[in-house]
Amino acid sequence: MLKTILLAAAGALFATTAFAHVTLETREAKIGSGYKAVFRVPHGCAGSATVKLRVQIPEGYIGVKPMPKAGWKLDIVKGKYDKSYDLYGHSINEGVTEIDWTGNLPDDYYDEFVMSGFLSDSLPVGEMLYFPVVQECEKGVTRWIEKPAKGADPDSVEHPAPAVKLLPKK
Amino acid sequence: MERPRPFAAFPHLRSAMTRFHISAMQQKVARTLLGVILLTFCIVGQAFAHAALVASDPADGTVLANAPAELSLTFDEPVSPLILKLIEPDGSGVSLGNPKLDGNRLVLAAPSSLGTGSYVLSWRVISEDGHPVGGAVVFSIGMPSAGVSPGAATEAIDWPLRAAIWLCRVLVYGGLFTGVGGAFFLAWLAGGARVARTFVAGVSLAGLAAAGLSLGLLGADALDLGLLSLAEPKIWATALSTSYALTAFFAALSMLAALWALYSRGPIKARAVSALAMAGVGLALASSGHAATADPQWLMRPAVFIHATAIAFWVGALAPLAALFAGNDKAAKPALRRFSAIIPYVLAALLAAGIVLAVVQIGHFGALVSTAYGRVLLVKLALVALLLVLAAFNRWRLTNPILAGDGRTERRFVRSIAGEIVLVTAILCSVALWRFTPPPRALADAAPAPPVSVHIHAERAMASVTVSPGRAGTVSVSAFVVGGDLAPLDAREVTLSFSMPSAGIEPIRREARKLDQGQWRVDGLRLPVAGQWDVSVDILISDFESVTLKSEITLR
Repeated sequence: MLKTILLAAAGALFATTAFAHVTLETREAKIGSGYKAVFRVPHGCAGSATVKLRVQIPEGYIGVKPMPKAGWKLDIVKGKYDKSYDLYGHSINEGVTEIDWTGNLPDDYYDEFVMSGFLSDSLPVGEMLYFPVVQECEKGVTRWIEKPAKGADPDSVEHPAPAVKLLPKK
Repeated sequence: MERPRPFAAFPHLRSAMTRFHISAMQQKVARTLLGVILLTFCIVGQAFAHAALVASDPADGTVLANAPAELSLTFDEPVSPLILKLIEPDGSGVSLGNPKLDGNRLVLAAPSSLGTGSYVLSWRVISEDGHPVGGAVVFSIGMPSAGVSPGAATEAIDWPLRAAIWLCRVLVYGGLFTGVGGAFFLAWLAGGARVARTFVAGVSLAGLAAAGLSLGLLGADALDLGLLSLAEPKIWATALSTSYALTAFFAALSMLAALWALYSRGPIKARAVSALAMAGVGLALASSGHAATADPQWLMRPAVFIHATAIAFWVGALAPLAALFAGNDKAAKPALRRFSAIIPYVLAALLAAGIVLAVVQIGHFGALVSTAYGRVLLVKLALVALLLVLAAFNRWRLTNPILAGDGRTERRFVRSIAGEIVLVTAILCSVALWRFTPPPRALADAAPAPPVSVHIHAERAMASVTVSPGRAGTVSVSAFVVGGDLAPLDAREVTLSFSMPSAGIEPIRREARKLDQGQWRVDGLRLPVAGQWDVSVDILISDFESVTLKSEITLR
């Protein structure tokens, strides 16, 4: 119990560095299992309110469904996958490729945007899976779409894409 | 009044604890930890965002009729200033004093007497999350001006800092030439004699300390901060990112090796280590500096290497030779004989390399008198001429009688070498002044400069960036962007950023205009300072995909 709490505290401290960015709440997940992606939006674009959040669904994150949000209009873009995936015994080769929320989030407020889906067990273990996000504001756009070079500090890019680290299957 | 109960705000937690009969001790631990975690989240809560510049006065790119009385930068949140600098039309940088903090706004008093021309207001601040962020705003008074190389600028000079830099440089030269050269002489020519060892070691140690300190001083100079800023880590980080860090590193290694050679027992080990130390002298001085970085590189770097090692050979011999003869050492005459046999060749190499360096750096005769660099060279050459006269006198009048066994000549010889040492010290003191005088080569030409280009290649995309004209001032930048496989790449946006960390100029960002597919252009960009600029090309390929290409480009 003590150990868990200490780890949690350490984790919370560690998390501070990335808090200024749009990030995923859960930073690690097992492949071959469900994953609830919670996007945390800490601020607008240089002080301007967020009016739209567009999330590109990465290849291998399948069976995706967004959680509706009061005051926000949902748009789902569907398309073909690069290859076919196995979802609970079914082979699928198309699905959601982009989810957009349209609404208003003043710069002073914080909010979270949620979707649920399944991490295909064909995803590469140990790698980061990036969810590029375009944050559109009343004035300006911030693109959280940069991917740091392999092994580089995530802070080495100005606007890193939210990412989850892929762990081995249970 | 009700006493606050533990976990009053968290009834569910409290009930959970009671339910599981957690002991008082465990509860106390858990409460403390919970406090820590909550506190952590509070800190996190405050530290939400990177600051972004929302507005500036004057605004980026404006041309003002009159000099502004104050400058202001408005951010989207409160910030604390780190470095605020105004780069003037002549390329000189002025640190701006303490800004007034007015909410999210930083208000700076503009320096008085701002003349006509273009200015860069370079800012670096710490936002609430502790991350430093920076950028630059360019504005002009009257009309935009052409750029001038930073050397021609008349900066406000920080004399104590300059004196410290100069002294450190003299001490580093002393350590490299007298210290490392001395260790080499003792090991190779004096048959491992111990005379003057403490002196040679002392000079090396002083050089070693000065090499370390000189790094910090360089950082302080680069960021335009005074001597008192030496305790600040950013000074050292800046210095470590320069090519001088390599010089300091090789110099320190070389002097450590000299110390090792001086105090090692085996003659073979002493010789091997001192020879490595000598190579270190050449490497140290060929790693950075005006001369080593001039073109053509294949000629200049080896010339500096040869010049430096030859000096170390000559200068290093002086103190031990004087000590050998003053102490009537048995090893004195054999050492002098060997030294005399080798020195003509060393001197020839030294002079040849020196002439090459001087010719490239000076360019034309007029510069000898008209520039500070040339005048330092004239003083140095006069001292070198005197030194050569004295050395010739030693060789042709004194050396043969001494080797023939004339005791009276030996005393004159020791005095004469002492004279040489004084002259060498004077030469090193004058040469150390070059740190502050850019060579005429670098000052030359406000003349039309050919465009400079850089080609940057990455897996997803590549770009050819051309800056024309290729000098500081108002330039046009064109970027030709294609896919990594040379396929056409119809980018949605291209942003070019230029920064010069060594001059404290934060990225100047401009969105490029699309001319045609793959052809992007920024006109009227002001890059006020000559030297090496970091270029970054941000290419937005699609809504969700971007590539950043980085390289350097050198403007005259």
